[in-house]
Amino acid sequence: MAGLLKKTTGLVGLAVSHNPHERLRSLYSKILASLQTMPQDAAYRKYTEQLVGERFNHVQSEPDVETLENKINCGQIEEVIFQAECELSLARKMSEWKPWEPLIEEPPTNQWKWPV
Amino acid sequence: MAASLVRFVRGGLGRSYNLARTACLLQQQTRLQSSDTSPTIRPKDAVVNSDQLAAFGEFVAEMMPKYVQQVEMTCFNELDVMIHPDGVIPVLTFLRDHTNAQFRNMIDLTAVDVPSRQNRFEIVYNLLSLRFNSRIRIKTYSDELSPVDSAVSVHMAANWYEREVWDMKDFPLSGYVEVRYDDELKRVVAEPVELSQEFRKFDLNTPWETFPAYREPKEQAPKLEAGDAAPEKK
Repeated sequence: MAGLLKKTTGLVGLAVSHNPHERLRSLYSKILASLQTMPQDAAYRKYTEQLVGERFNHVQSEPDVETLENKINCGQIEEVIFQAECELSLARKMSEWKPWEPLIEEPPTNQWKWPV
Repeated sequence: MAASLVRFVRGGLGRSYNLARTACLLQQQTRLQSSDTSPTIRPKDAVVNSDQLAAFGEFVAEMMPKYVQQVEMTCFNELDVMIHPDGVIPVLTFLRDHTNAQFRNMIDLTAVDVPSRQNRFEIVYNLLSLRFNSRIRIKTYSDELSPVDSAVSVHMAANWYEREVWDMKDFPLSGYVEVRYDDELKRVVAEPVELSQEFRKFDLNTPWETFPAYREPKEQAPKLEAGDAAPEKK
């Protein structure tokens, strides 16, 4: 077992996580909780719930880290943790910005017409 | 439909990540075998094909209908997303932090001046996602007066580019502080430059004498009177 312990991720600034399951579980449940505050039909909530729920199920069902990495297929488990942290901060900002509302302002005519 | 779309985008980009690695290996092998491939031409890329990118563009538009005004593919299969100027920080943050996007690198930021338009400045952000090996271009607009949020809080790389944009176009960016070295205070100060220098006018005479034969007589150099003779040294 000692030989199997991971010593480095090979990525600068990304330390090896010793309890990835625990960390991911708490992050994902926090993300899901912050998504609960958004309206049901918001696209961001819908897609992120689907994505996070899928990964959460993998984390719950798969105790082996390497198989879990293969199942999630988004890099090493430390990278997946980093993505979850980003997603959590994004989800919290999203509930302030409310990007699911209709367009604030139409562009002026011919703004995006090219060539002029 | 929407759910299947996102699954397609996810699967598509995720698959492209794996494919990118194998494609990279393949490319190396072919480079070793034959030297006649021209490196300046971008190879026809099966990895990031236009369908996936277009689907991703629709995905972004669906996620943030408040800010995205238009999504289009250019003729070279690049994805352009046109947004409202208020949405600069939300859209850039979304693209950076969302797990399906991960556009964590800002490659370029610049402004285009189109004087005939009502909003003459077009600000362009080029982003790269290393994870999914794909690029995206965000465009927004502004006129001479309305400021645009600075993107430095999202991408540190924007700092230098925004200074450049500001210098070249006198562009209104909120949160932008111009820094300069003050010669009198002997330190860096954060206040705008005042150009105190006047407009200079040169008389364009040649530096060489054209008619040396007709030189005007110079004033005689003042002659030095001989002083008293120094006392002899003993």
